[in-house]
Amino acid sequence: MVRKTVLLVAALVFVFVASTGVVNAQSARDYINIVGSSTVYPFATVVAEQFGKTTRFKTPKIESTGSGGGFKLFCAGVGVEYPDITNASRRIKESEFEKCRQNGVNEIVEVKIGYDGIVLANSKKAKPMKISRKDIFLALAKNVPDPKGGERLVGNPYRTWKDVNRSLPNIKIEVLGPPPTSGTRDAFVELVMEEAAKSYPWIKTMDKKAFKEVAHTIREDGAYIEAGENDNLIVQKLDANPKAFGIFGFSFLDQNGDRIQGSFVDGVQPTFEAIASGEYPVSRPLFFYVKKAHIGVIPGMEGYLNEFTSEKTWGPEGYLADKGLIPMPDAERMKYRADVSKLRVLTALNNQ
Amino acid sequence: MNKDDSKANKKVEKRTIDIVHQGLAKRYRAEGRFKFYGLAAIVMSLLCLAILFISIVGNGYKAFRQTYVELEVFFDPAILDHENLSAANYSGLVKSTLRKMFPEVKGRSEKRELYKLVSPGAAFQLRKMVLKDPEIIGRSISVWVPADDDVDMLIKGYFSTDAAENARRLSDKQLAWIEQLREQGKVKKKFNTTFFTAGDSREPELAGIWGAAVGSFFALLVTLLLSFPIGVAAAVYLEEFAPKNRWTDLIEVNINNLAAVPSIVFGLLGLAVFLNFFGFPRSAPLVGGMVLSLMTLPIIIIASRAALQSVPPSIREGALGVGASKMQMVVHHVLPLALPGMLTGTIIGMARALGETAPLLMIGMVAFIVDIPRGFTDPATVLPVQIYLWADSPERAFVERTSAAIMVLLAFLMLMNAAAIVLRKKFEKRW
Amino acid sequence: MVFALLPKKSPNRDGGEVEIEKDLRVEDMEATPSGQDGPVLVSRENRQTVGVGTVENPRMTCRNVDIYYGDNHAIKNVSLDIGRNEVIAMIGPSGCGKSTFLRCLNRMNDTIEGCRITGEITLDGINIYDPKIDVVPLRAQVGMVFQKPNPFPKSIYDNIAYGPKIHGLKGSKSALDEIVETSLKKAGLWNEVKDRLDKPGTGLSGGQQQRLCIARTIAVNPEVILMDEPCSALDPIATAVIEDLIDELREQYTIVIVTHSMQQASRVSQRTAYFHLGDLIEIGPTEVIFTNPRHELTQDYITGRFG
Repeated sequence: MVRKTVLLVAALVFVFVASTGVVNAQSARDYINIVGSSTVYPFATVVAEQFGKTTRFKTPKIESTGSGGGFKLFCAGVGVEYPDITNASRRIKESEFEKCRQNGVNEIVEVKIGYDGIVLANSKKAKPMKISRKDIFLALAKNVPDPKGGERLVGNPYRTWKDVNRSLPNIKIEVLGPPPTSGTRDAFVELVMEEAAKSYPWIKTMDKKAFKEVAHTIREDGAYIEAGENDNLIVQKLDANPKAFGIFGFSFLDQNGDRIQGSFVDGVQPTFEAIASGEYPVSRPLFFYVKKAHIGVIPGMEGYLNEFTSEKTWGPEGYLADKGLIPMPDAERMKYRADVSKLRVLTALNNQ
Repeated sequence: MNKDDSKANKKVEKRTIDIVHQGLAKRYRAEGRFKFYGLAAIVMSLLCLAILFISIVGNGYKAFRQTYVELEVFFDPAILDHENLSAANYSGLVKSTLRKMFPEVKGRSEKRELYKLVSPGAAFQLRKMVLKDPEIIGRSISVWVPADDDVDMLIKGYFSTDAAENARRLSDKQLAWIEQLREQGKVKKKFNTTFFTAGDSREPELAGIWGAAVGSFFALLVTLLLSFPIGVAAAVYLEEFAPKNRWTDLIEVNINNLAAVPSIVFGLLGLAVFLNFFGFPRSAPLVGGMVLSLMTLPIIIIASRAALQSVPPSIREGALGVGASKMQMVVHHVLPLALPGMLTGTIIGMARALGETAPLLMIGMVAFIVDIPRGFTDPATVLPVQIYLWADSPERAFVERTSAAIMVLLAFLMLMNAAAIVLRKKFEKRW
Repeated sequence: MVFALLPKKSPNRDGGEVEIEKDLRVEDMEATPSGQDGPVLVSRENRQTVGVGTVENPRMTCRNVDIYYGDNHAIKNVSLDIGRNEVIAMIGPSGCGKSTFLRCLNRMNDTIEGCRITGEITLDGINIYDPKIDVVPLRAQVGMVFQKPNPFPKSIYDNIAYGPKIHGLKGSKSALDEIVETSLKKAGLWNEVKDRLDKPGTGLSGGQQQRLCIARTIAVNPEVILMDEPCSALDPIATAVIEDLIDELREQYTIVIVTHSMQQASRVSQRTAYFHLGDLIEIGPTEVIFTNPRHELTQDYITGRFG
């Protein structure tokens, strides 16, 4: 038993020592702590790695928590135990901004980094589809306007794309897409489903809750298959099944251009140029938010911001573009770079 | 009638053995069927296992080799300023080297395509060389640098070159250059040491599992140090000392329930208690280990109790019979005999902890971490999390690296299970 | 001291007084050898103890001992003495409670959940169930050998040395060596194992293992040795060796042996106690019990009518 007791005591001592070490580590964090969107993650990590390898600073730690989870952590307070930067695939919400203020996070610098397109893609073995957002809505919503006419909703009756629109191919509707927890799904619903639902005036005039109900509910009869968060898996499945379509971020299309192709949405194919110019309709801006109070406290913050906002990083020829980020137009980039160098603080959300 | 009776009698006389013989074939058939089902079940599971292994190994074995490109680097003193070697423009050095190798390349976009043939890691490699030995400045040295992941994929045969040029990651020109390099023998696949020595990276050719392996090691060490002594002490107390009453029954039921609780719940608990209440740092293997030990504790307790129960009562009686106290009986006789079972349970619990991601998600260990953790509070990730992160990366070269990482994880799991068997055999005593 | 307790006991349902008187008369005639149908036997219905349970200068005394396992009344009002340097055998059919009774003599029953004992058991005049009594020294004084040989899965040497070690009896290594050697010699095992003291005790044959257990018990130098069917798992040759050993050990120790074998009881013991369904039916000198039982149940058992 003596041996066991010694072990136990050793373990307790170890935990104690470790936790005192924790306090030390806390009081002097020497790396940047970044949380937030899984969509921004692949871009932010490249910058972080480049920053870590080319400077004397440690590589920032980046957690993929989702945009909402990121804000929750970010807005929890000022101090080394809270993140310095949060990535987001949407703008900060009023409620989140308010929460930040309540917790003393008054000075936030907003940085837009570029755009991400969401694509509907299929295998190169099949023909590319030319589809409108309305068609996508009709094919994927749980309840759709009655095809026989009238201002009422019926359960989605469409089995094939041709049922939806005569110009579309006569194949079964089969779409692999992200689950509701995913930021890609949020953006897809917002940019495609909501926009299409708004095109029906009587749906548009519904009260907010009912409208959301219509626009956000995706059919559950097997035509839409939630494929988990793993977009690579969707790509592999599309390759194996030329009749299926997938919904994912542009970077996956960019990396797998030899196997899959993006569908034309409202007449525009999702290409780098089309998204950058804003022609392709299904794209969203990506952001990160910086806690100004941490600049100068956490080593390397200025360097990281500088690395992220330099042309070799986020410019049209920068390495983020190689990774699939759609850069902002020149003027917008200039504006945000200036904002960052001046550390212009976000005062109110409408003040943009 | 009589005849019938005698027949019946005869039947009665012969009955036992007749029935035995009659039933015999049926019995053997039943036995045969049972054996067949058992065998079929085993063959099925082996088949599934084989498919799993084949797909993983098939996807992953190529990741252990990486394509390298030979560059004739002239360490140009004009580029490498002696004053500030660590911040010199090493990627410029790589670029100038490439331009020299393909002097016909003109124009900005063409040059950019050319630069993409080698990994950004090439610049880091040259930087390391120069910092290690500044004497090489001014000399020309041939260096093998890692090729870009797209080139690597091409060399490994993952890309079809039939697709239209704009749909490919590599343009026709790049293909031609690679072909040219190949003819000169300047493209070679070599063992991928980076994979085993580096931390995570967003460039597949620079990504390695060492960071995650170290993180796993730290986390599991914490888990072991916490859960083994506590688990064994709890099991010994419950099994040998605690009175058998409603309370201990309740505790036992709850421990069994705890073993079946989904691991994410322990993650939430860890988030609430260790991070929010005690204020431990996020992403630290210390906290990860603590959360994992919450998860492994019930497993260890249950296994340890089973091991204690399997110690024959005669040994306990023997010890008590010569006047050992209860404590002496437990420590001198019961524990040594139960130890192999306890160790097996512990190692199985640890193996489960090694493969766990869900609880670590909540405490921030699902993160991009490049630097190799140096202690229990450094931010770290673990092997299964690394697999999860790579599986979700868009770059295609991460597909094979994911499989390779799974192979490494499986190898660790097998090693641990083998250790469980060896320990069991070594300490097992017959009575 | 005369065993005077029994006659004072409350009368039996069927006129026990008379029979007890008969019993006493029989006792008077004890010396006269008698045949099967000589004396009048105590009837099967009488559950009172027949015979003298007391001895002069006893090592242990048991008075009105009742043992319960939960609701089960396993031993009913048993009183008997265990003398010095004697072998007392306890016999009886399975489930009669003889092992249970044996195990209370060094409080091994303490380990059994729900076991409760009333009455008094003393060792050298001290009540062993006194709350102040520590079981550890008690068990050092009253050692036990079990039905199944249970050597520790350690070396032969460590098996013997274990008891002395935990009790702090070892002075030095050489003293310990000596204890091991003498214990093994007393158990008659020395010559067989002296060359392999470091080999595991579990590697010995069954009979050797049981002798090892006896040696282990005597290594702590107890006063009483309890043996719970020590030969039931052994072949006749090993049994004979153990029986000889018991006979030799009697010179130094008091031995209480529970056995299923009446031959064994008659061979090794001086006194015999016959248990039946929790009652001590008859107790007396071994020859008397086996040649001249005074209770019908005893006679039934030794003549093989049941058992």
